[in-house]
Amino acid sequence: MSATLIPETGSAASTLRRNFWQGVWRVMRRKPSRLVGVVILAGFVVMAVLGPMLLPDPLPNDPTAITRPPSWEHWLGTDPQGRDVLALVVTGSRYVLLTAAITAVITVVVGTSIGLFSGFKRGRWDTVLMRLTDMKLTIPGLPLLLVLATVWRFGSPWQMGLVLGLLGWGGVARAVRSQTLSLRERGFIEAARGLGLSTTHIIGKELLPSMAPYIAMNMLISVTGAVYSQVGLFFLGVLPYESDNWGVMLNLAVFQAGALITPNALGYLLGPLLAILLLTLAIVLVVDAMDEIFNPRLREE
Amino acid sequence: MTLIARRLAGHLARGFVMILVVATISFFIVNNIPGDPMAARYEKLIEGGMAPEAARQAVKVLYGFQPDGSLWQQYTDFMAGLFRLDLGVSVTRPGTPVLDVLTDAAKWTVLPVLAGTLLSFLVGIILGVYAAVKRSGKLGDALSISGSLLHGVPQYVLALLVVMIFSTLLGVLPADGSVDILYEPGWNAGYLGSLVEHALLPVLTYALSAYGGWILAMKSSVVTVLGDDFILAAELRGMKRSIVFRYIARNAILPLFTMLALSLGLLLGGAVFIEKIFNYPGLGWLLIGAVNDRDYALMGGAFLLITVGTILANIVADLFYTVIDPRVRSGEEVS
Repeated sequence: MSATLIPETGSAASTLRRNFWQGVWRVMRRKPSRLVGVVILAGFVVMAVLGPMLLPDPLPNDPTAITRPPSWEHWLGTDPQGRDVLALVVTGSRYVLLTAAITAVITVVVGTSIGLFSGFKRGRWDTVLMRLTDMKLTIPGLPLLLVLATVWRFGSPWQMGLVLGLLGWGGVARAVRSQTLSLRERGFIEAARGLGLSTTHIIGKELLPSMAPYIAMNMLISVTGAVYSQVGLFFLGVLPYESDNWGVMLNLAVFQAGALITPNALGYLLGPLLAILLLTLAIVLVVDAMDEIFNPRLREE
Repeated sequence: MTLIARRLAGHLARGFVMILVVATISFFIVNNIPGDPMAARYEKLIEGGMAPEAARQAVKVLYGFQPDGSLWQQYTDFMAGLFRLDLGVSVTRPGTPVLDVLTDAAKWTVLPVLAGTLLSFLVGIILGVYAAVKRSGKLGDALSISGSLLHGVPQYVLALLVVMIFSTLLGVLPADGSVDILYEPGWNAGYLGSLVEHALLPVLTYALSAYGGWILAMKSSVVTVLGDDFILAAELRGMKRSIVFRYIARNAILPLFTMLALSLGLLLGGAVFIEKIFNYPGLGWLLIGAVNDRDYALMGGAFLLITVGTILANIVADLFYTVIDPRVRSGEEVS
């Protein structure tokens, strides 16, 4: 990992980059399951971006086919309004993934800045910021979201992503700070300081690139967290039903269509459930691969 | 011992501040509710023929503060009530103080969470050691992957799958409520049996959702210890494998005890999903109900109690760490 830290000249940097991608490819090939993770993840992104464009809005409902089990016509059955469950999963993916993306961006920007600043400056600011971070980490997130649901409208992915991002940066800040603390004592940072390089240069050109993979991993983990919380909030039924979200489907399937009792509504429950499971699986596989790429110690043989 | 006392004092002070912060948050949320439920109720009581003073008093009892005082006055009223452990009166359960409702619900959260966590901790650390030692083998790999997956799957998905399998398909265990109403509450076999029967699936779900985290944490802890010099030294001295193994396990398990206390606190917050799905009358279930019914006093109280539980778990975790980790005990700063 330390080899990729200081790209000295252009050619050396490109060699390093090539080595890096070769490393990525090696890890991917050793366990093909990880490639699967990347493919599924890409599939979800395509589905969220293109899917809703290809489907009619609103989705056609068929009063003669209300709450049907899976069939050839409707692969995952229909909902209580006679809409195709698979199509609902596709339209629902946009809210879910957009929120996750917004959350991830806010989490990473806020968490990284605070962690870097805190770890680099040390001193009084560090103490104050970390006290705040600890406090934020202690307040139980889901109950707080539930309470917030009474005053804040979570109707659009932007509103949801904003709240989740602002509540979620604590972990990233802590992680980035501890990484900064260990990096700042290393030789290359001391050298840069000795050379009189500006703090912005040291942070932007020396610290950030070497922490990028670490931050990326934390970002993916926060994405999973964002997916769970938002789907969960809709599932609990404390938010208005008007949005297209897998959580709304889960809620209606379990608490209104009685999917756990009647086999007719089973598809309605399985659709969003499978979508969440697949997305989880993909992210777990990708994080696992990233872990092995960036953490050579795990590559034992 | 003085170090522990000093740390405890610091924690209690910080915990106290946290509680004030959380209480303030819930106060302002209740105060910013669109439509102003307090004023509405006050108006309604007046319309119903109540004298203004009596109506104000009634609303104060319900929400814990004056409906028409200044913001500061309302806030101090609310906080003063908090210190008297007076959290107001639940709107949906007329006449019952919020505190009574909460203490009644707490046992339904704490016991299953405790049981599920301890169960998953035991299974997780044992399998975690195996996954670490055999990390190149097929079974070790499978264990790690099962850990990652279970760790990754959201709790509500697990809970739904558990209900689907054990209740809907197999029909062996109930998945609704905390006890059958046919039994007379008390120390009789039928009632207790029904209690256990209803608790099994929620406990299983808590355990399943936590197990992945333990196996992964134990694995990485053991892998780290395996690389330590003293293990090499022990092996070179020709110590028996079983003794070396005991060294490894003992050193690897220390950091996990801290995590155990922390996770108990986190699970209190996560209990919301499981209690909703199993219709289990704990704190999370109460909180959802309060949010849906807009029962603000109850909502604020449940949120506060869950937070206090989390804070306490954190304090216990840190004190525990102070006791077991020699570096902290000697006053060295660990960041």
